[in-house]
Order: sequence, then structure tokens, then C-alpha cells
Amino acid sequence: MIHLQGITKSFQTGSHTLQVLKGVDLEVAKGDLVAIMGSSGSGKSTLLNVLGLLDSYDQGSYHLGGQEMSKLTERRAAETRLDMLGFVFQSFNLIGFKTAAENVALPLYYQKVPRKERMLRAHALLERVGLLEWADHLPSQLSGGQKQRVAIARSLAGNPEVILADEPTGALDSATSHEVMSLLQELNADGMTLVVVTHEHDIAEGCKRIIRLRDGRVETEGHVG
Amino acid sequence: MWDKDAWLEVAHNLMSHPLRATLTGLSVALGMFILVVMQGLGFGLRNGVEQQFSDDAVNSIWVNTGRTQLPYKGHQSNRRVKLNNRDVPGLFAKADTVPAFSRRIRMWGVEMVHDAKNGKAEMGNFGLRGVDPDHLELERTTLLSGRFLHAGDVSEAKKVAVVGPNIVQELFKNEDAVGAFFRLNGVLFQVVGTFEDPGSRWENRVAYIPFTTAQSLFRSDDSMEQVILGTGALTTEETVVQSANMLSWLKDVKGVHPDDPRGVEVDNNNEEYAIYASIFEGIRWFIWGIGLMTLLAGAVGVANILAIGVKERTKEIGVRRALGASNGSIVGLVVMESAVLMTWSGCLGLVAAVAVLKGVAPMAEHEYFQNPQVDVRIALWALLILVLVGLASGLGPALRALSIRPVEALRDE
Repeated sequence: MIHLQGITKSFQTGSHTLQVLKGVDLEVAKGDLVAIMGSSGSGKSTLLNVLGLLDSYDQGSYHLGGQEMSKLTERRAAETRLDMLGFVFQSFNLIGFKTAAENVALPLYYQKVPRKERMLRAHALLERVGLLEWADHLPSQLSGGQKQRVAIARSLAGNPEVILADEPTGALDSATSHEVMSLLQELNADGMTLVVVTHEHDIAEGCKRIIRLRDGRVETEGHVG
Repeated sequence: MWDKDAWLEVAHNLMSHPLRATLTGLSVALGMFILVVMQGLGFGLRNGVEQQFSDDAVNSIWVNTGRTQLPYKGHQSNRRVKLNNRDVPGLFAKADTVPAFSRRIRMWGVEMVHDAKNGKAEMGNFGLRGVDPDHLELERTTLLSGRFLHAGDVSEAKKVAVVGPNIVQELFKNEDAVGAFFRLNGVLFQVVGTFEDPGSRWENRVAYIPFTTAQSLFRSDDSMEQVILGTGALTTEETVVQSANMLSWLKDVKGVHPDDPRGVEVDNNNEEYAIYASIFEGIRWFIWGIGLMTLLAGAVGVANILAIGVKERTKEIGVRRALGASNGSIVGLVVMESAVLMTWSGCLGLVAAVAVLKGVAPMAEHEYFQNPQVDVRIALWALLILVLVGLASGLGPALRALSIRPVEALRDE
């Protein structure tokens, strides 16, 4: 599903160049559930941005679903994100003035799905994450765990090939963290491919594989217990 | 982009900052209001002046005489200059063509008496003018009934008159005046027509009689007050030359100092009208300029709050872009907000301006200010400009929204 080879990425800060990714090789198969770990500054967020087509890379090759992703135009990148990728963020990033259902339906709006069908599918997805009765609530009326479940429902809405989660439990307490993690595991059990960036060991333990980044390179790669 | 959600979002964004949206909208509405009201007032002013000009034919030259101010060729100053019959052919000689002309004798407070059928004598003091037949068109008099004076009336010095509405009302008590008789200094005149004059109300208290009749009855010599000459289709420049020639010739004949501003006057209506026309052209551009500047100020306000809005919504726009929103939908989001705000408040200003022009302006009627009104075309133009400016003022902030990179927008603080 995801195939990275020799990906490098550097940032220009003032006069000197900061090499963040120094040749990352990565393979994520369909139906995988991968944790990417690493200390801050290891490049894991940058890697996720590259995977999510939110940022470009300098060298190497990136294939997503068999297609080469280099030199995408802004427009092609947006279309690919819309059709192939789902995002879950640490701080949820729900739109504050939209209800839970409207937030979930947003990717469908950009896919030009008719309004009625959008709302129907949004409600089905909210039911899937156990929040149907909260469909008409605004994000401010939801708890952190509920917000993240709405965000997960939203990431599923566009019917993506891969879900990329950036510290999905980073803003949650441990009990809620485990709820969210088990939801992600359920999705994986249903066949969804997931890549989870985290620095929490017990979250990473819940994944099938752990990839450790250190200083811009894959340090270790291993299956969980 | 044009579906319900997009509109709902625009409405939501505007309503989530009611004070900000209202104040900005107010500045746009005010701009529109000022533009349209000033257009309307300008229109009224022009109507008023054109009304003044409608008194007399625009293409005419009026020759008057008065008292001199400068001594010249042995004459004292303050000498009264008179126009005489022999001057008329002289003036004609200075004109290329004379499509219409009239000599004129004016008198005020002339007593007229009408012996009514019931034996009672109605009387009143009115104005009297001895003129030639062309006076009808040169003075832009509207004939209401009967006929105006004929060439025959003048050549035979007939005792006939064409009377104004006030005479019909006061002397003839609104009865059919044509054919009726009245006495003027003991001389019996027959009314052959009635008229109305759009110029001033004084001219509606006048009776017109043949010039020759007036001169023989009321003048001991062959003098007159005025000669009016039509200029037909001559250009303004040609009439200026013509009136200058007449002036210098007449001053020479009458022994008036070339620099004397009085004594002899030749007023060229063509020239005066051209001056007014150019003044009004200037006023029109001035009004457009001010109105558009005010609108522009409003548009800058709109662009400003949109820029703030984009800044505030950086994260949201980043999320939308991460989710796969197209550039078009992001631009649409911002531009539609601006277009909606501008159009809404602009229409409000337009409605208010129309209401003011319809409701308040008629109370301010004046000789030089009449029928202020909104030109529909101007209103449509203003609306079109408003929408375009709205789109343009949304464009800057929209492009800024486009430059938001999702990575940066989503970075957690």
C-alpha cells in the first residue's frame, strides 16, 4: 500500500540546512497497523506529513496504492488526499461551528456527494463510533474522547485506503486513550490500513508493528510481541 | 460551490461576528447611499437649471440696452441707450442667417378692463409685451388655445392680444377668453389666443400684442427694449463670433465705450448654456468620483475584515485543505463572504437612498432644484460596481487563504 525508498527532506532555517529525513525506507502493506515512534526531532511528524502529501520530499520515491507520488501538483495532492487518505490529528481539528455530523460529512462535501446522502453516511459513521445521539452537537459540547471519535469517523468518511493518525491520543487521558486505540484496532480488524505516530509505548504496543525513527532514519523495525 | 452548504457557511461566518459584519456593512451601505443620493441631487440640480433654460430658446441671442457707465466720444456716463427700428436691419447684417427674430417692448402694471356679460367690469394690472410672431418659439411659450400673433397682425398693427393664464383667470374668470374683448388705456383689444410659459410665474401675467401696435400706442419714438435673434443650427463657436460682432457694431453705432459693460448688452444663450452644460458635466464626474471613493473605502473595510477572518480561521482552512478541499472551494468561501456582505449592505444603502430621494427631497423643491430622482441605469451600474468591488476585495484575502499550508496551519502550539 505504502512504499517509501530513500526519502530525504531538509528544511532551510536561515543560513543553514536542517536535514530531517536522511533516507527513510518504509513498507506498509494493506491491512497493516503500524506505529511510528521516535523522540521529538526524530522526524516522525515530517514523515507523516510526507506520507499524507501535506509536505513535499527532496529525494527518494513514494508509492501510494501503486502510484508514484513525486512532483504532484497542489491540485493532484488535494485530490489524492481526498480520495485515498484519512487524517486523525492530536488536537482533533474539528470545525467549531459545525455539528458532529456536519464535520463527518465534510470530506463527502468535497467529494461532491449530494447533501442528503452525505448526512445519511455521516450518521452511519457516527453510529459506527458510538456517537449517533451526539450527531447534532457542536464539538464544544463533546468530551475529548468523543471529539477524537468524531474525527475518526470523519477520517473514514471519504472511504480512504489509509488512515494517518498523528498522536491521536496525545490530548487524551489514559482511559480515553485506550478507548480510541481500541476503536482504531477495530477499524484495522475490518481491513483498514493505519499508520499511527505516537510517543506512547502502550499505544504503540497496540499496533501490529512498530517503526522507530532516530535522527531521520529508521532505527529498528519490528513486530509487536 | 453554489450549493446550500456554501451559503450556510457564509451566513454562519457573518453572523458569528455580528458587530464586525454590521459595522463593515454599514460603511459599504453608507458609500452606496452617498453615491446614489448625490446622483439624485445632481439630477435635481440639473433639472432645475434646465428648467431655467427652458424659459427661453437655447439657440438665441438677446440684445438689450441700458445706461452707460463710461463717458465716450463726448457723451457723459449714465446716458440711457435706446434700441431703434433702424438698428434691427443692422443687427441682421451681422448675422449669417436669422431663422427667427422678434423685437420687444415691455411694460408692467398696465390696467386692463373686461366688461363682463353681467355688466360688471373686471379689471386688473398686468404685464404687456409688444412682440413679433417668432417670439412664441424664442420665448418657448406654449399656446393653449386660439393662435399666436401673425405677421399680418404686426404689419397692420392690429388690436389683438394673446393672454396668459393669470389674465384668463382674473380678468375673464376662467371663461373662454378667445374672441373676448378687453380695454387697454381705453383701446379695445380682442383676445385671439391663450398661452402658458414654463419659465417664471411673472410671464404668466402677461398679454402679448403686435410689436407695431405697442410701439404706436405706447411710444413717442421708434424705440424698443430688446431684439431677440434665433441662431438656428449654428454651432456655439459661430454664435460667439456672431454675438461679438453684433456687440461691437452696436457699441460703435450707439457711441458706447468698447469697454463699457453696460449700455449695450448682447447675451448669447448658446454660450451660457454651453457653460452650464460643461459645469454639469464636471459636477457629474465629481459626484461619481466621490461616490466611488466612498464605496472603495467600504470595500477596503470589507477586505480588512476578510483578512482578519482568514487569519482567525487559519486552522480551519488548514483542516479543510488537509481533508482535500480544492483551491476553488477555499477561494469561493472567502470571495462569497465578501460578495454577500457587499451586495447585502449595498442594496440596503440603495433602498435607503431611494427612500430619501422619494420621501425627503420633494420637500426641498426650489427654482434651481427640481425632481431629484434615481436614474435606474445609475443604480444598476452602482450595483454592478459594488458586486465587482466585492469580488475584488475578497480576492486578496482569498489568495492569502490559499497560501496557508496545511502543515503549518495544523502544527500544534
